[in-house]
Amino acid sequence: MGSQSQFCHVRGNRFLDAQHLTKTYRVGGETVYALRDVTWSALQGDFVVINGPSGSGKTTFLNLISVIDRPSSGEVFIEGEPTSAKSEGQLAHLRKTKIGLVFQSFNLIPVLSTEENVEYPLLLQKRPRPERAARVEAMLREVGLTDFARRRPNELSGGQRQRVAIARALVTGPMIVLADEPTANLDSKTGETVMDLMRRLNEEHCVTFIVVTHDPAVSRYARRRVRIHDGQLEEGEPDGVATPAS
Amino acid sequence: MGWRLPLRSLWRNRRRTALSLAVIALGTAVSIFVLGFLENSRLQIQDSTVQQYGNLQVASPLLWDDTAEDYEYLISPSDADHVTALLAADATYRGSTRQLQFSGLLGANAQTQAIAVTAIEPANGVLDFAGLAVDGRGLIPSDTASAFVGRSLAKRLSLAVGDVVTMTLATVDGAYNASPFRIVGIYRYSNEQFESQVVFVPLAFGQRLLNTSGVDRLVVALDAVASTEPARSRLVAGLANYGFPLEARTWDELSPFYKQLASYFDALFGFLTLAISVLVFFIILQVLTLAFLERTREIGTLRALGATQGGVFRQFFAESAWLAGLGSLIGAVAGSLLVVAFNSAGILWTPPGTIDPFVLASRVGPSAALPVAVSVVATLLSALYPSTRASRLRVVDALRVD
Repeated sequence: MGSQSQFCHVRGNRFLDAQHLTKTYRVGGETVYALRDVTWSALQGDFVVINGPSGSGKTTFLNLISVIDRPSSGEVFIEGEPTSAKSEGQLAHLRKTKIGLVFQSFNLIPVLSTEENVEYPLLLQKRPRPERAARVEAMLREVGLTDFARRRPNELSGGQRQRVAIARALVTGPMIVLADEPTANLDSKTGETVMDLMRRLNEEHCVTFIVVTHDPAVSRYARRRVRIHDGQLEEGEPDGVATPAS
Repeated sequence: MGWRLPLRSLWRNRRRTALSLAVIALGTAVSIFVLGFLENSRLQIQDSTVQQYGNLQVASPLLWDDTAEDYEYLISPSDADHVTALLAADATYRGSTRQLQFSGLLGANAQTQAIAVTAIEPANGVLDFAGLAVDGRGLIPSDTASAFVGRSLAKRLSLAVGDVVTMTLATVDGAYNASPFRIVGIYRYSNEQFESQVVFVPLAFGQRLLNTSGVDRLVVALDAVASTEPARSRLVAGLANYGFPLEARTWDELSPFYKQLASYFDALFGFLTLAISVLVFFIILQVLTLAFLERTREIGTLRALGATQGGVFRQFFAESAWLAGLGSLIGAVAGSLLVVAFNSAGILWTPPGTIDPFVLASRVGPSAALPVAVSVVATLLSALYPSTRASRLRVVDALRVD
């Protein structure tokens, strides 16, 4: 599994460009730099792991490239289109159609079942019911949760919840999935299972994954490894690509 | 998830939802009950007023304006016949009676009492008051020098059926006239003042006492209270065509008391509704603000997944709409049950100025839609601020909240 998948023919197309990204905050009258002049791009099919100590700017960077936050200066290009001038509604549309998000605390909607959580992004896209049903079923099969379709999040284990979150992120067929500390709330074995799943989906669906973590074990899965330190980003060599468990 | 997510969100914190539903339901139920009570009371007073005045009265403007010298306002028999013919052509017309009212002095048992005499067509079927008799009988066509007096007057002057008393009055020419007459019956009426002043006599006898062949008004009964205003319009047009200098007044115009009471009831209900709405508004505002605040991170998640600000607003507003709908529905049922329970209790009340108690009752009619609508609107208005605030959260800030 260490080599490129035979299914991912378009790997290498530049999908996301960050140009001179800077993010500052005002704290007690002083300007604090969360990110300084970061320029970086992700290619389609990448599996990028971003490491860095707490407070280094990892999550800030993820928020900027997932267009849920705006940079103080610089520009994020998605498929070559600048995003800074886009309205809130246009950014929401971008997130809805091109980007999948996986959160550290899963962020599932507690009153919805597994299948309804996965279905939610499709509803936002106003997909017809038969298509929604087919996609949800396929996605749940993909993440091995078919038997848990009717369960609510509080009836699932942490690993299962994160798999639901991954299914939710992928069900719309996004170009890129951004995961913020996806294994932080999981034990190591479950974390490994989740990372295996993400790598497999990256291989099979040619979806770009950008995973922010401070868990060294996750770095093994990186095709590209990036380190952020004091708001600055440096490209590193992967530790060695882990093979997803079959 | 159009309706599912908002509906299910109500059950996240069941105690809080129950409290919200209880507040909305209570407000709705109390409003329905009070509105029904006021409406029922108003209808009772309306029926009583129409019973007293008829739906319409036709008379010379001089009569009501109180500008006439002597009896210039009297309607001649031929004019009265024409007006009756005009009225009879109306589909809503049920009947009419001619009346002649004047004042006089009643002497009996060494006492004298000022009275208001109403000369009526006996057994006309319209406002002959015969059904109100508590002793003796009402007036009948063969009666001549007879009178039907009120219970209070009879009590005050120690009168009984069969007694012969004397009335003194001034004729239309200004001459004094006095005549004995026999009391054939005693009536009761809801209004004590009416009972103690109004004496009914046959029209022919009244005309003879007053020395005139005229009447001062025609009292018109229609098939329903709602027919009053349209019938008046048609009658006014007809009177104008014939060139009669007569005016038609409706029962509520003739009874300033009813108008004042109706305005008072409206103001009372308006105030109560406002107070309940404000209460519901602020409680629900508090509850929703807290509920939405607790879901800040979820709002961030929905936005991060691609929900628009409008979408989030609609979702939270829909949640409030469910709350408003369910709460007011429960309130409508509870209010109806309260009305049934209250009515079955048979509580008696004697309003000021009346003699006989009547059963206090409420009612649930189409107007109950008003409290329901007010509760829904108050709840939805209270949801505007928290829903707007929820939708305008910055995604990145919302996601940071634990």
